Amino acid sequence: MESLILALFVCLVLALVTKYLSIPAIPFYILAGVLLGKTGGGLLTTNEISHFFSEMGLIFLLFFMGLGLKPERIASNRTAVLTSGIIDLNVNMIIGFAGAYLLGFSFTESLIIASAFYISSTAMAITSLIENRKLMLRESDTVIWLMVFEDLVLIIFLAILSAGNQNLIIFLVKIMAVLGVLYALAHYGKEFLISILDRDDELPILFTFAAVLTTASFSLYLGVPETMMVIALGVAFATTDPDAFEQHARPFKDVFLVVFFVFFGVTVDFSGGVNWFVIGAISLLAVASKLISGLLTGIFIHDSALSGLEIWANTIARGEFSIALAVLYGSPLVGTTIAAMVIVTSIVGSFMAKYSGMLRRGIVSHGRHRAASQRRMH
Amino acid sequence: MALRSLNLPGVGTKYEFETDKGDTVAIFFTKTGSIQMYTLQKNCHTPSAAEMSPVEARRLGNILTGAIIEADQESVEIAFSALADLRITIHTFFVTASAVGKTIEDLQIRAKTGATVIAVCRHDRNIINPPPTFVFEKGDAALVIGESDQIKKFEAEIMVD
Repeated sequence: MESLILALFVCLVLALVTKYLSIPAIPFYILAGVLLGKTGGGLLTTNEISHFFSEMGLIFLLFFMGLGLKPERIASNRTAVLTSGIIDLNVNMIIGFAGAYLLGFSFTESLIIASAFYISSTAMAITSLIENRKLMLRESDTVIWLMVFEDLVLIIFLAILSAGNQNLIIFLVKIMAVLGVLYALAHYGKEFLISILDRDDELPILFTFAAVLTTASFSLYLGVPETMMVIALGVAFATTDPDAFEQHARPFKDVFLVVFFVFFGVTVDFSGGVNWFVIGAISLLAVASKLISGLLTGIFIHDSALSGLEIWANTIARGEFSIALAVLYGSPLVGTTIAAMVIVTSIVGSFMAKYSGMLRRGIVSHGRHRAASQRRMH
Repeated sequence: MALRSLNLPGVGTKYEFETDKGDTVAIFFTKTGSIQMYTLQKNCHTPSAAEMSPVEARRLGNILTGAIIEADQESVEIAFSALADLRITIHTFFVTASAVGKTIEDLQIRAKTGATVIAVCRHDRNIINPPPTFVFEKGDAALVIGESDQIKKFEAEIMVD
């Protein structure tokens, strides 16, 4: 219990400082966990309570993702979303996988690292667009839709990874059945759900919490993992009143997810037997590979490499979903690598996103300057 | 002027329109509760932005729809195009010394100006529809409704320094 209280207190301070400086908090939560956990003094240790909190954090993160997912929106914006999404997926998965495999990770480990390498942080990308006042840029739309596409791909990854030894087809049929049942419940119980959400006593928040936990607990009987169950619940609930559900689930998500980040940091062990070269290489590769996919997207969609630079700046940061993959499927070594990658990319990313405007102007004026001096020479 | 509205996943709602002169204005209602307004001049590539709280945004909206005569006194004009283009103005006034201690009846507000006091704000409390016997105190803010000529008359005859 003391561990948890200490962790919450440290997070509170970190949240205050990072909000004040308007930099992303996620890397600092992880760093705090690292410094206070195994690698540092061992002041924080994982126990049953922290484990439960972390699990809740993951569950609510995925429930939220499900709520925000509206497949029909993608359909209305198909070509641009697909082009950028497919470039992003291919470039980053291939570079991530090849890099990890060549650096000595096994086939499965490389696959996990590649997935974590591919998924940018939706939370950090959106916050950076809002805080740096970039919403009007045409590249912003591309980034926003890219995040939606990545979320969809993540669900497919999670489904495949969590199938384990089960027959993939039977497993997918089970997931579809769960989704169908939840959809039907949301559809026929819509009026009941909305009447509950409209109340201003404790009922809406209690209902949201209970619904998410109950659905997650059903995974024991169905052989469908919790992750898939809560995403499906989110997608089904999104057909009723997603804003209300977001509002009532947000307090749980905010608190539990912070604990999830800290205790992920606690389990990471940077002290012994860590190959710094491998970790550094993956982190740098993660920054560089989004540059390639960003430039390609910029050229294909906006006809401009400069636009690509803007897209890159806002998608460098990896975050919550990469960590989720590490926690769910990563070995300790994979976890350490992903932790380092998240810390490096999110700090580089927040810096680039803040100064990308200056970078663009610098390149443009440099180009003009060079063109002018060339004209003078001729 | 074509207004487009768009729902951006995770961000909020976007409203955008291009003016006849080719400038673009975009408003974003973000999920964090803040409102961002961007303006992009024609043939310019970098927009400028302002972030507002909901209260500030409503204030801006009032300025754009009606006219604020003084910075701390607001006025809103509402036009009902279905009622023969009826234009109603609502204006706030801080009560001047000459009106303090007098009732609405004493001041003969309705008879002299045609405008009506529909609310008075006193110490952060609102008194809606004050009776004719209502006595003004120092620091009161009165909300007056009427046609714009009646409001001008109210300002000239009742709110004398």
